[in-house]
Formats: sequence, structure tokens, C-alpha cells
Amino acid sequence: MQYENRQPEEGINVSKGSPVKTFLQLLISTVLLLAVSVFVIYLSGSWLAKKIPFRYEQAIMEKIDFDFSGQASDDDIRRYLNDLSARIAVHLPNPDEVTYTVHYEPEDVFNAYATIGGNIVFYKGLINRLPNENALAMVMAHEMAHVSHRDPVAGLGGGVASMIALSAVFGSSGSQYASTFVDNAGGLTAVQFTRRMENNADDAAILAVSKLYGHTVGADSLFKHIDEEREESSTPDWLARFSSTHPLDSDRINNIKEKTLELELPTTGETTPLPDLW
Amino acid sequence: MDNLLIFIGLLMCGWFFGRRAEKKHYKSIIEREHKFNAIPAIASRFPPADTVYDQKLVAGSTVVSSDYFKSITAAMINIFGGEVKPYEALIDRARRESILRMKLQAKNAGADMVFNIKMETSAISAGKIGAIEVLAYGTALIPPNTNTVIEADNLNVAT
Repeated sequence: MQYENRQPEEGINVSKGSPVKTFLQLLISTVLLLAVSVFVIYLSGSWLAKKIPFRYEQAIMEKIDFDFSGQASDDDIRRYLNDLSARIAVHLPNPDEVTYTVHYEPEDVFNAYATIGGNIVFYKGLINRLPNENALAMVMAHEMAHVSHRDPVAGLGGGVASMIALSAVFGSSGSQYASTFVDNAGGLTAVQFTRRMENNADDAAILAVSKLYGHTVGADSLFKHIDEEREESSTPDWLARFSSTHPLDSDRINNIKEKTLELELPTTGETTPLPDLW
Repeated sequence: MDNLLIFIGLLMCGWFFGRRAEKKHYKSIIEREHKFNAIPAIASRFPPADTVYDQKLVAGSTVVSSDYFKSITAAMINIFGGEVKPYEALIDRARRESILRMKLQAKNAGADMVFNIKMETSAISAGKIGAIEVLAYGTALIPPNTNTVIEADNLNVAT
């Protein structure tokens, strides 16, 4: 008997097709799947985190080594800020247990933020650029509204949940981020709020400011100020709106105007000057 | 950002060098398959009954590593399911190379053909990038009165 091995035809056991095309199709599908999963997990984490009692939120904050003390020479400023927050708090829908503590950082940073445990931090750089107390009250009421809506703990809960979920896909790097979030004070300033949270906070804030001063004059002056400066920026509005978690300043001004009209809030009155503490 | 750049760099390296290695390997495999066609490798367990052959176990083993591009593509296929096409060429190359190495061993032993050939595949994990080993083995049938000096070097066996 004769035996022979014929040369096999090529390409039978290897599929044809572009590997790069397959890779790109898979990459797009994977990214979409991940984005949807992370979004759902983020929302679930946020929803669950809001169920945490406020006292636990404060207890977590105490365990974190976050130095809010500032300088002794700024005691007057801190007293003034906390007094203002107490006046605003009366006009905010405050859930049980929620308390506010305002901190002052004498740094030239154009920012203010609310974090867990009812802590709100104001930077000198922001207050210096505010034209009157009404604008300061608007920013403070906005941050306080975040606290009363439990946005910081929701943002933190959502962030930690999505990081843990990502660690299941990408290995340990995700859990490292998650532990950075909960162990490290730096993570607290990075808590992201959604645009809806920002708009809701604006709505509550304009109402509180109107009740406090009897009108809404000056409340939107901060956003107008930033908007004017940003007009020189080359980023188109639609792109800035898409890429930012905060609504655009122009959108916020419109939102405040709409809310003012909707609730028929008074739009005439005298603004209150800032005290000479800075 | 740095991690993303490293990732893209590794992907491109994997795609470029992996493709180059595959083309080169296939060219060499096809050439040698023509050359070794004279020694048939038959899966049958029953050798020709007309001649009494000397017999010898011959084996050829190949380990081929995946590249970064293939591994990442395969990992994504793991999520959605479906044919793992990037690994098909890898396994095909390993299988054909192993048979060629087995045939080389048979040729060095002076064999006419190899019978009862079998193959085994095992996965070797080298970090995140996987590698596979394919072992082909069979019974080399050596015609009587063949005085072949078997060179140990060619057989890849320890002496």
C-alpha cells in the first residue's frame, strides 16, 4: 500500500478577515458595555449611599485625617461664614440630623466645595472675587443644598461602587482607586456631582437666597462674572456642556432666571456688601 | 494617560511583530512541509503488514506564544463569546511545526513513515500572555537493514 501526505490547502484552519477590524468592533462593544455597567452601578451606589444615616457620614469624616482647622487668625471669617450658613439653613429643606460646618482656606484657589459630614470649604480666592454677600450666600446655599440633598455621600458611594466594579474587570488598579477614595482625604475633593444634582442645588439655593434677602438680586453675579471671562475661550458651548459635569455658567444663569420667573421671586432690591474681613 | 500610551504601544508592537512572525513562520512551514512530504505521517494504528519494520517512538514539540494584540482581542471575545479567531493561526502553526519536528526526528532515524500519530495540546501561562505547547508523537517505521546513525543533536534529547 502506498501512503502519502498531500500538502494541505492553506487557510482552512485559519479564518479570514481583518484582525484590526475585529479588534475595533470588540473594543467599541466592550467600552459601551463597560460604560453602561459602570453607569448603572454608579446610580445604584449613589442610591444606596443616600440611605446611610447622616451621623454615619459624620463618623466616617472623623476617621479621615482631613485638616479643616485653618489658621487661628481667620477665626472671624469662619465665624462670619458659619453665621451666614446658619441664616441660610433656615430657608433650606433640611432633613433630620443634617448639620453644616463651613471651613475657610486662605489660599488663592477659585473654588468652594461640599463634602461628606456636612463640611463645606470656601477658598479665599473665590470670596475675593465675589462682589457682594448675596453672591456669597448663593454659592453657600448651593453647597449647603448639596449637603441637604445628600449629594456628597451619593457621589462618594457611586464612585466607590463603580471603582470596585472596575477592579473586577481590570484587576487591582480599580480597588486602589476605591481605597484612595475612602482612605485619602484627596479623594473627597474629587467627588463628582451630576448635572442634575447641580441644577437641583441651584434651584434650592435661589429660593433660599430670595427668602433670606427678600429678592434675588446679585445671586447670579458669580456666574455672570465667570461667563464673561470664559467668553474668550475657544471651546464651543455644546462641547463644553458635554464635557463638563457642572452645567455651563450661561445655562445656570438661565436656569436661575427661569426659576425666579417660575416662582415669581422678587428681582429688585439692594445688595448687601461683604464685611471687611479679607 | 501614561498607562494608556503603554497599552497602545504594546498593542501596536503585538500587532506588528506578531503579524511578521506569523508570516515568516508560515513561509517556513510550507517550505518544509513540501520537503518532508516523502515521510507520510499517518493516523492509522495499523502499519502495512507486508514488511516487518523496526519501530521507534518519535516526537516533536512546539511552544508558541501569543502576542499582546491577540491576547487582548481574545480577552474581549471572552466577554461576548464566539470563535477565538486570533488563536486559530497560533494553534495551526504549533500543530504543523510539531509534525514537522516529529518528521525530522523520523527522517534522522531513517524511517519511511510515521504511524499512529497523536497530538496533545497544553496551555502554558507566562504572565498575562499565554503560550501553547503542541506535542505530536507517533511510531516511526524504519525499514530493516537501515544503518542510520541517529544524531542526538537533531533529536533534541539529552545525552
